[in-house]
Parts: sequence; structure tokens; C-alpha cells
Amino acid sequence: MRARAGVQALTAAVLLAACNGTEPTRLAPGGATLAVVSGDGDTAAAGGSVTLTVVVQDSSGIPVAGVDVGWMVTQGSGTVPASTRTIADGTASAGFSVGATTGVKQVTAKVSGAAGSPCVFTVTVVAGPAARLVRSGGDGQTAIGGQRLPNKLEVTVVDAYGNGVPGRSVSWSVTHGAATVAPDAPATDSAGISRATVQTTGPVGTIAIQASAGALSGSPAAFAATATIAVVLVKELPIPANYGLHDEYVRDGLAFLCAWNTGLLIYDVGNGMLGGSPSSPVLVGSIITNANGVAGGASVHNAWWYHAPNGDKRYVFIGQEGGGVVGTSSSGDIHVVDVSDLAHPTEVAFYHLAGAGTHNFWVDETSQILYAAYYNGGVVALDISGTLSGDLAAREISRVQPGGAGNTYTWGVTLYNGSVYATDMLSGFWQLSSAAGQLSVAGGGNNVPERFGSDQWLANGYAYSGTWGTRFTATGGIRGNALKIWQLNATGAPVLVDSVITDNINTVSDVEVSADGKLLMFGAENGPNAGIWFYSLAASRTRPALLGQYLVGSGVHTATFAEIGGRRYVFAAKDPPSPSLLVLDVTDLGP
Amino acid sequence: MSVRARGALVCAALALACPAALRAQWSYGAQAIPVIARADPAPIDSSVTQFVVAQPVVWVHGMLWDGRVRLHAMLDGEALTMKNGQIATSDFGEGWSDKRHPHTWAHELIASLVDVARLPGPLHWSLTAGKGFAPFGSDDPMNRPAVLFPANHHWSQILERAVAVVGVRAGPATLEVGWFNGDEPENPWQWPNWTRFADSRSARLTVAPLNGLELQGSLADVASPEHRGGAGLDHSMWNVSARYQHPAGPGALYAMAELARTDEEGVFVYHSALAEAQYTVGRHRPYLRLEQTDRPEEPRLLNDPFRSIRPHNENGNLGITRWRSAVAGYGWSVTRPGARLRAEAVAEAAYFHVTVVTGATLNPEAFYGRNDLWQLGVGLRIGAFDPLHRMGRYGVAAEEPMHHHM
Repeated sequence: MRARAGVQALTAAVLLAACNGTEPTRLAPGGATLAVVSGDGDTAAAGGSVTLTVVVQDSSGIPVAGVDVGWMVTQGSGTVPASTRTIADGTASAGFSVGATTGVKQVTAKVSGAAGSPCVFTVTVVAGPAARLVRSGGDGQTAIGGQRLPNKLEVTVVDAYGNGVPGRSVSWSVTHGAATVAPDAPATDSAGISRATVQTTGPVGTIAIQASAGALSGSPAAFAATATIAVVLVKELPIPANYGLHDEYVRDGLAFLCAWNTGLLIYDVGNGMLGGSPSSPVLVGSIITNANGVAGGASVHNAWWYHAPNGDKRYVFIGQEGGGVVGTSSSGDIHVVDVSDLAHPTEVAFYHLAGAGTHNFWVDETSQILYAAYYNGGVVALDISGTLSGDLAAREISRVQPGGAGNTYTWGVTLYNGSVYATDMLSGFWQLSSAAGQLSVAGGGNNVPERFGSDQWLANGYAYSGTWGTRFTATGGIRGNALKIWQLNATGAPVLVDSVITDNINTVSDVEVSADGKLLMFGAENGPNAGIWFYSLAASRTRPALLGQYLVGSGVHTATFAEIGGRRYVFAAKDPPSPSLLVLDVTDLGP
Repeated sequence: MSVRARGALVCAALALACPAALRAQWSYGAQAIPVIARADPAPIDSSVTQFVVAQPVVWVHGMLWDGRVRLHAMLDGEALTMKNGQIATSDFGEGWSDKRHPHTWAHELIASLVDVARLPGPLHWSLTAGKGFAPFGSDDPMNRPAVLFPANHHWSQILERAVAVVGVRAGPATLEVGWFNGDEPENPWQWPNWTRFADSRSARLTVAPLNGLELQGSLADVASPEHRGGAGLDHSMWNVSARYQHPAGPGALYAMAELARTDEEGVFVYHSALAEAQYTVGRHRPYLRLEQTDRPEEPRLLNDPFRSIRPHNENGNLGITRWRSAVAGYGWSVTRPGARLRAEAVAEAAYFHVTVVTGATLNPEAFYGRNDLWQLGVGLRIGAFDPLHRMGRYGVAAEEPMHHHM
């Protein structure tokens, strides 16, 4: 036994001697063991490090120096030296830089030929000290006044590497508006997140909430929300899907529905002649206007019930939208329908412009001039005085292409303060002068280069214009999700002052301001936020305040206000595939 | 009485009741093409790599009563295997662009009566009804060399309609006249709008003057195909083609050329020219397709740049683009050609060049990032039992690849 111990001591001495050189000690097979000394089960903060130590001993338990130990990160991120060498006490250590991410990580130490190899170290990496407060969800929501915001507000306390820091106290408070806020817990959860529920308590308005976490960077984190007013659907009237309802004109309790190839439908919605109401429309009469050889058929697009200065209410002007290429070509005539007998309308006249098709109208009833947007034809002024019959070509007073040939595709026109304003899909928002119907460019134009223009409305010395589709330029595509706000200067020329951007839509298809100038609405299409949006102009003409929205999945192409029986309604065209007339009671939107 | 005995009695009763049914001939088969493809660029200046199982179909054909009654049924599973479409640069139709829409699950459900009453002389006739192809244009792309569908699919075939077709054949000439519903499907689960049956019509004259050569000319008036309710523009279409298929040297040559034109009430006019060829020898099948086709451009959906608003609002579109393309492919039969279970590895490369024909708002360079586009694909064309029949030709216009006798 003594002799055997002597051999082992001699072997160790030889090995130690060998360790003094640069060559690593070579272990005899089965002659040594590898074991963990320290570091396994340690915890470190992200960005920090831990020291991992192993020991190599021979079969007698005598430390072996000069043995190369290989190190490798085998789970998670981090860095460790590829190898270190045992020293006189047989130990070898390696610094494990745990990296920036949290979680359980493993490092393996290995000595070739040693029993117990490889050794596995498990190190738990936790978040470092709290460094920042980050807003991580829930900003910008709306809810009907008195209801909760749909989603909780959320902040995250993170360390210098962005890891969530649990257990950190966060306080929530409402800094503006009528609402209460209730956090789920006083401190952040295991992911470093603090969530809070917001309950609106007022009827309408903006709400500001903040989350605070001491002196951390980013604290306090601010959230905005809006309490809106409920809009009440009082009637949905299906329209034949042929293709459906495009526009509606409501006056004196009669609704003129432009139902494309189903024709013009006239409903009593409060006129009294047949006992109809907004919630119970009664059909009075209908007509399918002539196709006039235009591709697509009658394609009844829009209407205006003309009240002449002498009190005559005989004519309805109907726009026909035939086939065309957006921005390039168009077709369709103006049709004049005699509604002296509302139950039996008859077509009596038409206007045709070669090479172009009509779109939206505005009628100067005092001057008896109809202004029609004519897409690539620009804007046309027609004399509509007296009796209308047959071809109205001789009634044309003037026409103008605001943007010039190749840069004109006019969507809509509005007469306001003596000027005709036109939104052109290609060339922006224009002011036209019209002396007795003689049209000429007066101002504006080429002022919306990034988007295609659409509909418009003017009130209070301001104009509000929509945008359509996606305009692709060399720098990419810009969606038609903007409502442009224009201030009219001393000469009436438009000056862009602001825009309202609505996320998740692709078109602002129709714009209107209520007769009192205090309520703005626009129809929206193509996207999750399609429908009708309502804004208050009471406090600011240039910074409309969101009042509410009525979302319609398939979109709303047009909408118009109507005052009936002391209440304010919106008549709106719901897009296919299930087209219908929507009647909304918006009286509570105020003012 | 045992189940077997009852079955024997039923069969005997059927045989007594309709002995001609026992002389029925049936053929059947299945096909699927798992394919991985990459389009670069794709809409919104991106690239797309996609794996789908395209053309997963099973079919059965029957000839009963000595061929006087013929049945065609094909079920298509694309609604399940490629419900988000198949990447296919330049392709369009049914509200899809740059992706091929999934076909309806009931792709063909057709019954034909052939020569039920014999006509004098060399005349043969048939009456066909069901859901399938209207008699118009060239062969369906599923019957042709490339996996990638051509852009002109909707200008050169009219499919998935409720059809009634009268066919007359005399010697090498076959005339088909069909009535059908104009509306195309809006989704793969939709049936034709039966109320619109016969609002559209087409006629196709096919002549085979030489062995292997076939000439075809078609006309069609299709009412409002893109608006199910009927409010859309009508299509006036024509298509002419020459098709040659014949042994050549050690293999077999296929070649086809076609011209097509679609006029949407004079507002939009689309032209297409296509030529393709394939040579099959042993396990090898190289092929090439050249095409120039105009297509409509429509506003894409906000959340899917491969889809457009359906049904259309109004009568307009954004304009017309012209797509010039070359598709080169190579197929190599993994299995013995003609085997009952077949597999062919296919690789395709396609190049496209897009320009604007009309439309001031169109900007393909911005939409795609550039107007030279590529698509690469590899797939495995798997087939079982009988080869795919020549789709869209029924009654006297159909070939008769009947192999199984029951």
C-alpha cells in the first residue's frame, strides 16, 4: 500500500513538474476527475459576469495542475473563454459574461479523459437595475363616454438592456379629463409590466393619463385617450346590390337615394306626404335614368333636388358615373328628372360632355347655375334657369380644367362666399372665380402632391377636403387617410393649416359640415377604421375634436346631414357587398 | 341473409334494371403540386417566398350507356391548401392580383348526352349541362406545361360557371355554343348565381385540319363578370389559337400560340398574345412560355396588397398595365413516365417586365420597387391513376381517355 502511494506521489510530482512548462499536462485515461468548485447555481444581473471554477484531481484526489479545461456556453447567450488551465491547486476558473438578456443559461466545462467531464454550470440571469420607464401599449384609444377603454394601458420598467424589471412600484394618475384609472397591481409583474384600466366618466373629451416610476428616465409616461358620444342607428334600409347605394340627398324630409343601376329612389323620411320617418322610410317613387349609351348603364351616382328662386321644386339633377380610368378618363352624363309628380318621375333633359364624365354637383340656386365636377373635363357651369328639355349643350356657360390637360381629374365642387372651390384628385384644392358662371382659376392648386384628392366641404371660412386611395411616388405609397384643413385667406385662396390623419383607412370618401358649422363628419373606406367619423368644430376650426365614430366594416362611401323633426340625422351609404342606407341619430353629438 | 348475399342481390337487380350501366367505363385520378416559389419584387416593394400545395384535385369520369351519357366531376381542394392564393406575378382575376385565386371546390360537375338520337351523315351532337367551363378559348393552364399560370387566364378561359352547351361535330370540325351565368366566383366556396344563368353566351369552333394540329376560334359575351349582382361592365371577348401536339424524333412536341382580346363596353380593352412549347423525351420535359398580356389595375386592400376591393364600387379602375414575360421550366420524371403513381420534379424561372398602358395614377416602379420582376419556383407534380383530362371540353368536343372498365 505504501509503495502504491509512493508511485502516485511520484506521478503527481512528475505532472506538476510538467505543468511548469507551456505544454499542457496530459492525463492518463481514467486517472483524473473533473468537478465543479463554484459558480453553478449563481445569479447575475444582465450585463454582469460570474466566475466559474472547476478542479482536476488525480485518482488519489491530488490536484493536477497544467490541465486545459475547455469552456462553452451551451444554453442562452453570453461569452466565456474557450479554455483555461488548472493551477497548482488543480483549479481552473473562467469568467462568464452573461450578456444582455435574462433567463437561465448554461456553461459546460470539459477536460478530455477526465471522469465527471463535462461539468455543467447553470446561471440565472436577471434584469439589472431599473433604468427606464417605457410606454408599451394602450395609447390613443377611444371609448364612448362612461365606458372603459377597450384595452388596458401598459408601461414596462426596463434595465439598461431593455429587460423588464419586476417588483418596481408604478403609480398611475389621470392628469386631464373625466376618467379614473386603476392599476392591476402596485408594482410591475415578473415581466416588468404594469397595467391599468381606464374608465371614462364624462360624456366627451380628451383624457390624459400618466404612469410614474420615480426618477427613471421616461417617467412619467403619458397616455392620451378620447371619450366619444354614442351614435344611434335608427334604420338600415337594404338597397339592391346593383351595385348598391352611392349617394343620398336629403331635403324637406325627402331622401333621394342614388342606387346605381337600381336608379333613383325617392323616400319619405319625414316629409309627411306618406307618413315616413327616418326610422321608417316610405318609398315615394323611383326612376332608372337613361344609359345614354354610356358603359355601365344608368349608374345613378349623385343627385341634387333643385329649389328654384321662384319656389319651383320641379327638377332633380342626377349624375351618371360611367366607366373610366381614375385620373385619366371618365364618362357619364347629367340627367334632369322632372319630379313634379314625385311618385312618377320622368327624365326630361340631359347634358353630355364629350370625352369626360360627371361627378359631384353644387347648385347656385339663387343664380340658377349648376356647377358640376367633370373629372378629366374639370368643372362645368350650366344655366339651369327656366324650363329644361332635351340636350342642354347650349346651356353650358363655361368650363375649366383647373390643373390643365393631363393634370385635372376633379372630384367635387362647392360654391362658397362667391367662389367655386374644387378638389381635384391629381392637382389638389382650387379656388375658381365664377362671374355669372364664367369659370377661371383664382387660387390654390397643386397643393396636395403626396395624395389624391377626394370630396370637400366649406364652412366658417375654412375648407375640409378628403383624400383617396394610395398614391405611389418614387418614395413609396401614401394612403388617402388624411382630411386636409384649409384656411381661406383674404382673397378666398386656400392655405393648408392642418390635417387629420385616421389610421387604418385608405380613403376619406365624403366630407360634410353641419349647417350650424359646428359638426364635421367624413366617410372612410378600406380598412378596419372604415365608417363615419365625427369631429367638433365648436372650439376650433383648425383642430377638430373627435366626438365619435360609427364603424362599418365594408366602408361608407357618402353621408349627409339632415335636420328632421328637431333632431339631427345622418343618411349614409354603406358599401357592398351588403349595401344599405344607414340612418343615424347624431343629435347627441351636439352642440 | 348475409351482407354479401344482399349485395349480390342488389347488383343483380341493378343489372336487370339497367344492363347498359354495367357497360359503363370509368376513369379517375388525382393530382397535386407542392411548390415553393419566390417572387422578387412583390407588391409594396417587397419579396415573397411561399409554399403551397397547388392544384390538389381528384376527378372521376364516366361513360354510361355506350357513351351516350358522360359524367365529369372534379373536386379542387385549393380552398384548403392555398386559401391565401398562390404567388403568381402578373396573374389576376376574381379580386386577386399577382396571386392566383383558389379555384372553387366544385371545379367541374358536368353531365353530357351524346348522340342520344343519331343525326344523319357524319354529324354527331351533344348536350351538356352542369358547372364547369364555358366553350371558349384555349386549354386551361392546368393542362399545359408550366405550373405558373399565365396572366391571360381570365382572357382565354371562362370557367366555374353554370353552363349549358350544345356541341356538333362533323369530321374534323367541332362547334360548341354555350349559355352560362356571367358572374365569376367571389370565393372558392361560392356557387354560380343561378338567377343569372344564360345571361352570357359563347361559341367555339375547333378544326383539326392535320394530324396533331388543332385550330380554334372563340367568341363570348359575358355579362358583368366582376359584379355578382350584375352592375359591372360586360365583356366582349375573342380568342384564337393554334395547338400542335405530335411525336417528334425520340419524344413528343407540344406547341400552342394564341391571341385574345377582351373589350369592357369600349371603356377598357385588353389584349393578349401567348406562345408556349414543350418537348418531352423520356423523363425530360423542358418548356418555354412567352406572353404579353394587358391586365386591369384596381385599388388594393389596405391589409392585403394582393387583393382588391370586391365587389367593385363604381365602374372605373386605376388603369391598365402590360406584362411581358418569359417562363422557362424543366420537368424531370422521378417515376417511370406513364406509371400509375407519378412524380415529376419541376423547376421554373420567370421574368416579367411591366409598363403602363393607361392610367395617370399608376406607378409600377414605385409599387413594386422596379418594373423588372422575377419569380422562381420548384415543385413536385404528383399524379395518380389516369392522366388529367383535357378540361373544358365536353360531349362531342371531349377526348375520350377511358382506360378502366367496370
